Amino acid sequence: MQQPHDHDHGDHGHEHDHGHDHGHDHRAAPMVEEITDFEVLEIAVRELAIEKGLFTAEDHRVFTEWAEQIGPAAGSRLVAKAWVDPAFKARVLSDAVAACAEIGVDWKEPTGSGTPSDYMNLRVLEDTPTLHHVIVCTLCSCYPRPLLGHSPYWYRSPNYRRRLVRWPRQVLTEFGLNLPSNVEIRVEDSNQKCRFMVLPLRPAGTDGWTEQRLAEIVTRDVMIGVALPRADRKSDDVRPVHKARRPVEHAGQPVAAAQ
Amino acid sequence: MENTKATGVPARFNVGDRVRVKELPNLFYTRTQMFVRGVSGTIAERTYEDLIPEDDAWNRDSAQPEQFYIVRFRQKDLWEDYPFEGDTLQSEFPDRWLEPISD
Repeated sequence: MQQPHDHDHGDHGHEHDHGHDHGHDHRAAPMVEEITDFEVLEIAVRELAIEKGLFTAEDHRVFTEWAEQIGPAAGSRLVAKAWVDPAFKARVLSDAVAACAEIGVDWKEPTGSGTPSDYMNLRVLEDTPTLHHVIVCTLCSCYPRPLLGHSPYWYRSPNYRRRLVRWPRQVLTEFGLNLPSNVEIRVEDSNQKCRFMVLPLRPAGTDGWTEQRLAEIVTRDVMIGVALPRADRKSDDVRPVHKARRPVEHAGQPVAAAQ
Repeated sequence: MENTKATGVPARFNVGDRVRVKELPNLFYTRTQMFVRGVSGTIAERTYEDLIPEDDAWNRDSAQPEQFYIVRFRQKDLWEDYPFEGDTLQSEFPDRWLEPISD
């Protein structure tokens, strides 16, 4: 990458020397994240495939757009339906991929045999009053994407992956979930071709609710197992606001974010 | 299962059987984590038959598929100083990584 020599801050050790005259060109250097070997490989293979006419750049964009718009809503519907319909729940537990078709999720999309790493081996893990499941992929990032969409960033982080298997109760506490020691915590590693999702216990205070209303309290984190559903908390609830004690000021006034 | 391969070879283990994860060398690629090597657990489920990852990673489609199993471990068996009696961890393995035990 070409840069003017006077911006070569790293070599000259004057990163913080900004007190001098700003008369000359002083654009900030762009912030560029490092690219991994896997990302380089993906770009190389994709560009080769496009050159060879296997698919077009627009095909790739359309697929990416489709894959990235899948959210956890289908998983929420599956849990809500299993809560109100015991026969459906039995089908979810015996053949989850087939049960997904009943709520409009086809694990065969878009290739006829699933996406390249989602396969067709879903297991839904049923919590009980004395058993709590939580999922992880210690190898990388396996996740039931057709039902839950893309995994959250922290799910793919080495911190979560290596610590959940070793200190599950401590990690759950960091998510705000404290479980009594008489509840068995079962960590489920998605280290082969099975994919997993948690079917939590239906919370108190939801008697007589419709499936649609129940689905609203089944958030993404609940289906990963790092949270429990509550009657008073929905996935689209307004988040609490904690005002800063010492807000950032500009021209004597707090800036907007701190107000 | 649509994208897995059947062998016709009978599965060696049944749900509830006690097994130990073998201490095999890593052949370039594996999905058997180090922290379960040599640890005993219980078969929780027979899952599917498929190529083992060590072959699948190299597209060795003519290799012999194997039965896969989900094994349940006690956290106290995995981590010496684990403080909670009842907690468990499940991980999945192809046949060759498991050996029967009778403890």
